[in-house]
Order: sequence, then structure tokens, then C-alpha cells
Amino acid sequence: MKVQILGSGCAKCKLLEEHARQAVADLGLPAAIEKITDTEAIMEMGVMMTPALAIDGVVKSVGKVLTKDQVAAYLKGGE
Amino acid sequence: MAGCCCGDDRETNLIYACSGAANTGLLADQVMRALSRDKVGDGSCLAAMGADLSGFLQSARSATRTIVLDGCTVSCGAKIFERNKIAFQHYVMTDFDVEKGKTAITGDLIEAVAERIAGKVTA
Repeated sequence: MKVQILGSGCAKCKLLEEHARQAVADLGLPAAIEKITDTEAIMEMGVMMTPALAIDGVVKSVGKVLTKDQVAAYLKGGE
Repeated sequence: MAGCCCGDDRETNLIYACSGAANTGLLADQVMRALSRDKVGDGSCLAAMGADLSGFLQSARSATRTIVLDGCTVSCGAKIFERNKIAFQHYVMTDFDVEKGKTAITGDLIEAVAERIAGKVTA
């Protein structure tokens, strides 16, 4: 599983990354967490506001700092 | 990119335009560019919405407003947003005294339509 955090590296992006790392750890998933900070790459994924979260290449959330539980719900397959 | 949500409550308006083969599609596309230039909103990609690309769909869902500019009453753009249950403002170029297949798309027309729509977006 690949978890991507899309954002410039600002405080809210870092907070989303922290929540994602906690959610992955809590669920014990073998997930790789990747940070995408390049604006061109973010735009190519159609993300117009950051931070954003993608799981296995599918963007799940845009422009929000999800809580750990919200990230966990997406990791478990929720929409 | 429209922006980062860090530390501000700024509105994010995203604009989607028909780019169909007719003159009305050309007008919708050019009006979107004029509105983007005038900071009414940021242009995004209607074709990507139609293709169900996740990043575009989620961006539309998270925007303050989505503005759909359809060329004609076939309203392909509106149908894409309705299918995805995303609220939107809808403007159709033929509602602005433009006749599909006939009216010449001039710079003056583009600016006039853009000005009328800009006045309605936040009204």
C-alpha cells in the first residue's frame, strides 16, 4: 500500500502526515508513506488545494487536515 | 493550484468550461480564462471530471464554489456534476444572446459575458 501526502510542506501538511503515520502504525499496515511537495506533480493529480491524501494513487481528500481516525477509515477502504 | 489551506479561510472557486466543437464551447473556454485572469476563480478541467479522475473530483467537492460554464443547453458539464452529486453554479453561453453555430466569438463578447458572470458568482 502506498500513502501519499500532497502539500508544500507547511504546518498543516506536516500535521496530516503525522496523522497518516499514526494511522498506519495503529493499523499495523505495511504501507509506504510518500510526501509529494512538487507543485507540478500535485497539479497533475488534479489536486487544487492542499494538504491532500492519496492511497494507492487515488486521491481521497483535498484541502483538509484529516484526523488520525479519518485517515484510518480511508486506509480500511472507506470512501 | 488554487492554494494551501494553511492559516486562512480564503474561498476557493473552481471553474469548469465546456470546450466542445461549436463556437459556444470556444466561448465557454475563453470566458473561463477571463474569469481566472480576473481572480474570480481558478480554472480546472471538465474533461478530467468526466473521466472520474479522483484528484479533480475531490478538489471539486472541497471547493467553496464550483462554476460550470456550458456552451449550449446539452449541458454536458452540468450532467457530470449532477452525476457526482456536487453542487455547482451553472451558466450556459446560449443564455447570453449567443447562437450556437452562428455568433462570432470576439474579444468583446468574451469580456462582456465574463463580466456578467463575475457579477453573479458571489451575488
